[in-house]
Amino acid sequence: MIGKEKLVKIVGAGNVSYEQKTLDEYSKDISFVNAVRPVCVVKPKNASDVRKIVNLANKTQTPLVPVSSGPPHFRGDTVPGIGGAVIVDLSKMKKIINVDRARRVAMVEPGVTFGELIPAAEKEGIRLNMPLLPRKSKTVIGSILEREPVIMPKYQWDISDPLSCVEVIFGSGDEFRTGQAAGPGTVKEQWAVGGVQKAPYGPGVASWHRLIQGAQGTMGIVTWASMRCEILPSLEEPFVVGSSNLDTLLEMISWLIRLRMVNECFILNNTNLAAIFTKKWPRGYQNLKDSLPAWTLFYTVAGYEYLPEERISSHIKGITEITQRLGVEAVKAAGGVSANEILKAVQQPSGEPYWKLRYKGACEDIFFLTINDKLEGQIGVMNELAEKADYSASEMGVYIQPIVQGTGCHCEFNLFYDPGNPSELNRVRGLSNSAVKSLMAKDAFFSRPYGENANMILNRDAATVAVLDKLKKMFDPNSIMNPGKVCF
Amino acid sequence: MALEDYRGDMEMCCRCSTCKFIPMQKVKGAQYVNVCPSIAKYNFHAYSAGGRLNIAAAMLKDGFKYTDKLLDIVYNCQLCGACGVSCNYAMDMEVLQPISEFRLRCVEDGKTNPALDKVIAGLQKQGTMVPGAKGKRGDWATGLKLKDATKEKVDVLYHVGCLTSYDKNMQKLAKATVKILQKAGVNFGIAGNAETCCGGRAYQMGYKEDFLNQAKKNMDMIKKAGIKTLVTGCADGYQAFKVLYDKYNLKGDLEVLHISEYIDKLIKDGKLKLNKKVNLNVTYHDPCRLGRLGEPWIHWEGKKVPGDRFVFDPPKEYRRGTKGVYEPPRDVLKSIPGVKLTEMTRIKEYAWCCGAGGGVNESNPGFARWTARERIEEAGSTGAEAIVTACPWCEKNFSETIKENGSNLKVYDIVELVEKAI
Amino acid sequence: MALNKEVYKEFEDVVGEENICNDPAIMPAYFSTEFAAVILPGNTAEVQAIVKLCNKHKMQFRPICTGWTGMFPPGIILLDLRRMNRIIEINEKNMYAVVEPYVISSQLQAELMKRGLNFCIKGAGTNCTAMLRGHGHMDQTTSGDDRNHLAIEWITPEGDIVRSGSLGSSDEWFCGDGPGPSLRSILTSAVPPGVTPGVFTKAAVKLYHWSGPSAYPVEGISPHYSLSEIPPNMMARYFSFPSVEKMWQAELKIGESEICFELMGFNISMVAANITTSNEEEEETFNRLNKEVQGPGFFVIVVGDTPADFEYKQRVLEKIVSENDGKSLKAVEDPRIEGILMCQCTRISASIRETFRNGGAFNSIPIMGQRDLTIKWAIGAGKAKEPLIEKGYIVDDGGAFFGWGVEQGHLGKTEIFCKFDPGNPEAKAAVEGWQKEQNRRAFTERYFASTMGPQDEIGPALLNYHLWWQKITEALDPNGVSPSGGSLV
Ligand SMILES: Cc1cc2nc3c(=O)[nH]c(=O)nc-3n(C[C@H](O)[C@H](O)[C@H](O)COP(=O)(O)OP(=O)(O)OC[C@H]3O[C@@H](n4cnc5c(N)ncnc54)[C@H](O)[C@@H]3O)c2cc1C
Ligand code: SF4
Ligand code: SF4
Repeated sequence: MIGKEKLVKIVGAGNVSYEQKTLDEYSKDISFVNAVRPVCVVKPKNASDVRKIVNLANKTQTPLVPVSSGPPHFRGDTVPGIGGAVIVDLSKMKKIINVDRARRVAMVEPGVTFGELIPAAEKEGIRLNMPLLPRKSKTVIGSILEREPVIMPKYQWDISDPLSCVEVIFGSGDEFRTGQAAGPGTVKEQWAVGGVQKAPYGPGVASWHRLIQGAQGTMGIVTWASMRCEILPSLEEPFVVGSSNLDTLLEMISWLIRLRMVNECFILNNTNLAAIFTKKWPRGYQNLKDSLPAWTLFYTVAGYEYLPEERISSHIKGITEITQRLGVEAVKAAGGVSANEILKAVQQPSGEPYWKLRYKGACEDIFFLTINDKLEGQIGVMNELAEKADYSASEMGVYIQPIVQGTGCHCEFNLFYDPGNPSELNRVRGLSNSAVKSLMAKDAFFSRPYGENANMILNRDAATVAVLDKLKKMFDPNSIMNPGKVCF
Repeated sequence: MALEDYRGDMEMCCRCSTCKFIPMQKVKGAQYVNVCPSIAKYNFHAYSAGGRLNIAAAMLKDGFKYTDKLLDIVYNCQLCGACGVSCNYAMDMEVLQPISEFRLRCVEDGKTNPALDKVIAGLQKQGTMVPGAKGKRGDWATGLKLKDATKEKVDVLYHVGCLTSYDKNMQKLAKATVKILQKAGVNFGIAGNAETCCGGRAYQMGYKEDFLNQAKKNMDMIKKAGIKTLVTGCADGYQAFKVLYDKYNLKGDLEVLHISEYIDKLIKDGKLKLNKKVNLNVTYHDPCRLGRLGEPWIHWEGKKVPGDRFVFDPPKEYRRGTKGVYEPPRDVLKSIPGVKLTEMTRIKEYAWCCGAGGGVNESNPGFARWTARERIEEAGSTGAEAIVTACPWCEKNFSETIKENGSNLKVYDIVELVEKAI
Repeated sequence: MALNKEVYKEFEDVVGEENICNDPAIMPAYFSTEFAAVILPGNTAEVQAIVKLCNKHKMQFRPICTGWTGMFPPGIILLDLRRMNRIIEINEKNMYAVVEPYVISSQLQAELMKRGLNFCIKGAGTNCTAMLRGHGHMDQTTSGDDRNHLAIEWITPEGDIVRSGSLGSSDEWFCGDGPGPSLRSILTSAVPPGVTPGVFTKAAVKLYHWSGPSAYPVEGISPHYSLSEIPPNMMARYFSFPSVEKMWQAELKIGESEICFELMGFNISMVAANITTSNEEEEETFNRLNKEVQGPGFFVIVVGDTPADFEYKQRVLEKIVSENDGKSLKAVEDPRIEGILMCQCTRISASIRETFRNGGAFNSIPIMGQRDLTIKWAIGAGKAKEPLIEKGYIVDDGGAFFGWGVEQGHLGKTEIFCKFDPGNPEAKAAVEGWQKEQNRRAFTERYFASTMGPQDEIGPALLNYHLWWQKITEALDPNGVSPSGGSLV
């Protein structure tokens, strides 16, 4: 147990809280994980604070739970897995350290949200490859470390993108910088010769950032991260294609990505599109939903510095060939939602309240990676399970995001529910459990195992877990980093 | 040149493995990418050209340590030269020459292969590479009333070759050739029983002395008879007369033509008309010693220029397989009405060997047949009904392999198809 | 460490007598190393059994694919993976291919081109394995280094089979990461030092769209290959610039505007090497072209996905080049030369001309990452070559470096090498001195740290990554049977 005075000494009294109300806030989230109350919440101001906290934790065997985004949390990963934990809330580390137009890279501390970084990057002429409508409090680093899918798959060359480099304090207390940032020299010394922290691999043969991503804070605490950015287009034209046939849209989207003709692109079902774009709740929701096709593929064609109009027109020509072949039409609006509206929305974080909460107040996400060929079957299974669980399948949001330049896709089911309605809550909870199991049987790959289902997921691959365990022992020998998460 | 003279070449080997494959730009898929039968069959790097060069270089440095494995490596190589072509797309270095010299060295050191010793004993006794040959060399021509080139003046000496002369199944090639030459009105003759083995296959096997012996005998006869032009239907014979004799300064100004070249010329000169239809889908197999190894010898002697580059004074021109005989047989096939030629993946300078060369046919028939099987399968993959070659050794190996393994593919020598068309 | 008969027999039982050999005669063929034995496993199960035996007998082993680059400690078992040569799957829809170790890149590429696909091919050439990581000419659009692997089947140094990512959980190859942290962090393999211990027995690699022909119309007899026609939607050019800065600006804009399939920053000496068929011709050509270029430059290949796309890309290219005062090299505008380069630089088939042909050896400093930074360093490294050129130790390439764009210029690669005659000890020493000094300069001036340099010096400056890596390998390989060996180039 870390003594209060020690924490106060590190971060100052104002940044340590033992207040019940605060602790309660961190003891649970919207997910179904068991509530576990932390001992205190500490808000470090910089990397040196973090290192001191980690060292203290090692000496006292105190579990640390790193949190960078603000509430509401959804996945249970920031709820302590065991008692006696200290929440390391990084939200005060809010520096945007660097934005470099020429090298297309930005560098931020963990507390920086999308809402904060977007304008700073834009000012320089670049932008982030965003996840779909993150909540306002979501931090950039939080999203990237979780390997959240991004909406411009064309620019996601590797699943670790857009992450470039990180500075991390491992559970062992050792400081490390990954990729180009490792050195030679400090970050500032690298800047002095014109270096930025961009190349992700190394040092040596390893790709250390991959170990930290997806770890849910179990390997160490990231104190800054750099990420690749893309150039702001000089011209953009968004389109939507509606269809009742998902297969057709999947075929279309895979060609759009394969030929690198589109930037933002994804598929939403009518429930999700309505959940995002309903303006007047609750009345407007059903109307909007009814006006929408079952599935909507959204994409943007863009031009940059040189001959943007020509670029767009050449791509549109190319896309028209595809739509004609598939017998669909690219248009400027689907039902009551315009393509322009979608584009504007998805280039920012979600407005308040967070879109997933607008409909019913809570939402359980079930998401996994898969390949196009298997998607229909998996959605079918999910629909059946929902109906069986007395959850109307048509109430379920579906988000399909091609990833890594088309080598797979992220499929997400959003189960909206009323948290105040215990029976609905229980139904969704049961559905979530059974769904993960059944979807795994259908080859869904739960690459980011959270909360209650993590064990079930990891049990499928004992060989990988055995290796991960060895790595974990090295980087967090006392197992102080977010114990109980992933498979640790 | 001796093995020592290729030390520099061998040391240039960078172990890139290119010599195991057809030239990279010619790779058309997952299949038919190998070009070296030896590494393809035996898999240890030592069986590839690069492996051979590195072994030889090491032996030059550290002394010759013969083991059974080493001899297994040395004798399981068709000396087909494909390795050199692939290597020499990018590299300036000799590949086949040192491999061949290493073989000669083994024989010189008495490290021979018993099966090959037997064949050479036969050669020494009977003047032929067909072991246990019965009868006389000229028996096949009995009753054909051909001119005896050693006695009568002819424009062309038809050198028949060992296999075509002695092998009952191959004599048809000699007869077909005779018919073709007669039809074209060529004033030709044979040497009959005075013909002797060209020595080319003995050379491949490593028996340089026996080769030189044969070469001298042949050239004596040729000079005495005043022959200016020699035509042969055997690719081994062709390469021996044209390239090897030249290499050892024995050829003089003898003009050497392969029968396919000669027929091509006769057709183009209007002396031979192919007007009978031969409805057949064929593919063509380039015999190594007509194709890439049939390119003329380049006499060169020089010294390495001191400095950063592996270059010589005077500059060295490499035999990269560029000037082999590739088009004449194809042109002949194309001029046969009804014949449709579909190419295999591995052709011309990067053709896959039939398997019969380098003494392998005699020392390791199983390997020779394995190699042929690859080729037969490749030929079959083109949809062709027949594989056409231009060498009796290829034909024999293909035919026997097909007999052993079963395949619908027919095997022809190019002269057999021409014969059908006249 | 010689193998005693009983142990030899155990290995032999796994692969059969024709697939194991310890005869000293074969050893010089492999790296001039006396291996305890060379073994040719035929499948994953055999590899696993061999690795288990290695653990049982505490024998060290290393795998090779085509084995171009390794330099291995003597006495170890060499696993020559030559017999594992199948393309397991080409998944066109999901853009990945699964290959065994001895599928060479030209095989996979030829199959892919038929399907309108391509993949990252190492600059070393299509004669190398398709399975291992690397980088090459086409990285601008096919990425490079460790970024193309998806799921991997891996025999750990202890002989367990790990199937990473989606493979382990759902028997699909499309993803190599998770559940949880990614094993791709360590499953990288590469040229030593620091290769991943154990053996990769299959891997999925990412595929990319290819709008070029399904097969090139290559004509001519080796070594005079060229294209009988330039594909109508393709173009290749070489541009030289008055300064490195202008070249870099053009390169940057080309990346940002996503118009080139390939941006290969050849120096003119490499162009000369590529388009010539002998050393003499190369020298003459270099001297001639060197007079024509205005300074540093690069080679580009433009591929149009549609006619409109092709036209757009060409127009933008023209604009960018002219804005930066670039000049097109006339020789490459000749369709014969254009065809040679186009084919060679996509079917990567002439790296040997660029490297080994001249003198039989080259020593290199390659660096991946931030291109503008590494170029800055390379200028100095090039200048430092000049005295060696003057003394005749190394081939005159104008003191040039080279490199290429990666991922539309997000990343890049820069490399500089000296070609020399390894039989000349003075030249060898001079080149090694140059290499050491330029590595040192890169390190002390904070450009980069070549991890091929002295680990004890570099490691501590880079947060002791080498100790972490050592710890990882020790944990994975408690019996120490999977050493990393050294690197040949
Ligand atoms: C002239 C030249 C140019 C080059 N240019 C480039 C370049 O532009 N880009 C580039 O990326 N590389 C380059 N290289 C290095 C290149 O990556 C390698 O040469 C090439 O990938 C080797 O392929 P290979 O099949 O010979 O691999 P090998 O030499 O067989 O193996 C390479 C390494 O990987 C290990 N290894 C092999 N198989 C396995 C396995 N199954 N599991 C685990 N480890 C294994 C080996 O032990 C060895 O350490 C170049 C090399 C040369 C000689
Ligand atoms: S012989 Fe030539 S092709 Fe073969 S490995 Fe050596 S250099 Fe490469
Ligand atoms: S000559 Fe033929 S069999 Fe012998 S090494 Fe060369 S390619 Fe292989």
